[in-house]
Amino acid sequence: MLNKDVKIINVGIADIQGGQSPSMIRTTLGSCIGVVFYSPEKKVGAMAHIMLAKDPSGKDSSKNPHKYAETALPELVKRMAELGCNKGDYFARLFGGASMFKGMNSSFLQNIGDLNVSVAKEFLDKEKITLLVEDVGGHEGRTISLYLDDGRILLKKGGFEKYLYKVR
Amino acid sequence: MKEKIDQLFENEAQLPKISSVVSKVMEMVGKPDVVIADLAKEISKDPGLTAAVIKLSNSAYFRPAKPVKTVQESLMTLGIKTVQEIVLLNETKGILKKELKGYQVDGESNWLHSLIVAELAKRIAVQKKLKVDKDVVFTAGLLHNIGKVILAEFFPAVLMQFRTELQTYQGPYTDLEAKFFGYTHQEAGAKLLAKWNFPEELIEVARYYTEPEKATQFPELVSIIHIANCIVILGGMGIDIGGLKIPLSSKALQNVGVTEGDLQMYYTLLPEMAKHIEELISV
Repeated sequence: MLNKDVKIINVGIADIQGGQSPSMIRTTLGSCIGVVFYSPEKKVGAMAHIMLAKDPSGKDSSKNPHKYAETALPELVKRMAELGCNKGDYFARLFGGASMFKGMNSSFLQNIGDLNVSVAKEFLDKEKITLLVEDVGGHEGRTISLYLDDGRILLKKGGFEKYLYKVR
Repeated sequence: MKEKIDQLFENEAQLPKISSVVSKVMEMVGKPDVVIADLAKEISKDPGLTAAVIKLSNSAYFRPAKPVKTVQESLMTLGIKTVQEIVLLNETKGILKKELKGYQVDGESNWLHSLIVAELAKRIAVQKKLKVDKDVVFTAGLLHNIGKVILAEFFPAVLMQFRTELQTYQGPYTDLEAKFFGYTHQEAGAKLLAKWNFPEELIEVARYYTEPEKATQFPELVSIIHIANCIVILGGMGIDIGGLKIPLSSKALQNVGVTEGDLQMYYTLLPEMAKHIEELISV
């Protein structure tokens, strides 16, 4: 149950939010990906809601860095630093990246999810941030809620809900 | 189940209602010889509605040329169709902001979904220079999935079965709705709008927005809403337990002349559009 004192922080599309215990950070994802960083020691975390792997025009990412994985993920690392966490203090979890409607004849829309996931993984690899849990792909949308008191995530997808407790 | 929903439609007390002032406004706007002063008088019968019209007319979203102080000024500055849009927006907010229990969509998300589909649909109509009335496009977008609100009321009883079957179900999502509820949310939405005596365009959009190939009277309008809905769902706004199971229709893309590049642009524009409608969301 959600305690009344728990502040809910909503992460919009192309948005990054961070917070500390006892808040809860929440977002809903289709093809977008949600990258979650959480430090179990400090009980702080941050979440990015990313739309696309790269900026197709090359002109938009300087104005809207949170839309694209290549610019949003360094920002997410920065947000954790602002919350007092160095690399190594926190671990990553990855959600979303559903693939587009069946029988789609748009290669752009069809591949958004997969591309998002692979670019995020490359980044985590390169930055040596451990990826603990992932629930990606498929045709389902997902709502994820990160509870900063213990780092658990409530995942809602395709008619079911479950808690994911692995935080380190 | 079907009987229960039939009963619901016969026994109007439980159905979402719209006020008599709003029905009258809709009827008046539908006539070619509507007089602004008469319309202003009708809207002014409802103080809450009057306040909302003036407040929204002055919002950044509608950007009036000069500040609006009365309903009459609002009608003259923004035009009859835009004021009708505002009236409907204000009236349906309470209905569309309801949590879609069982669909796993909260009220705020459904409201954002409805508004952003309306906004994107309007953008598509303008960008593609289509000969559809852009205010009708907005309203059609706003009301496209109103039937979900009705079915959501019936979810708790059959929820567990429905969800269990959904996890392994491969067919069209709406077939499953029909199996469990006797109606799809599209049919329920169309029935509700018909009950409200709303124009045919809006009824056809609610009925066929997920299968635009079947639209016979207003295929272009239905296609626009279909495409807008798919893109907004893809962005995760108002995405329900059906996930991404509604296929994007290539016929709809053809009807409207939307290209691969357009789809990419519409998708990328979603955050800016969400910002644009922020004021409408907070009303």
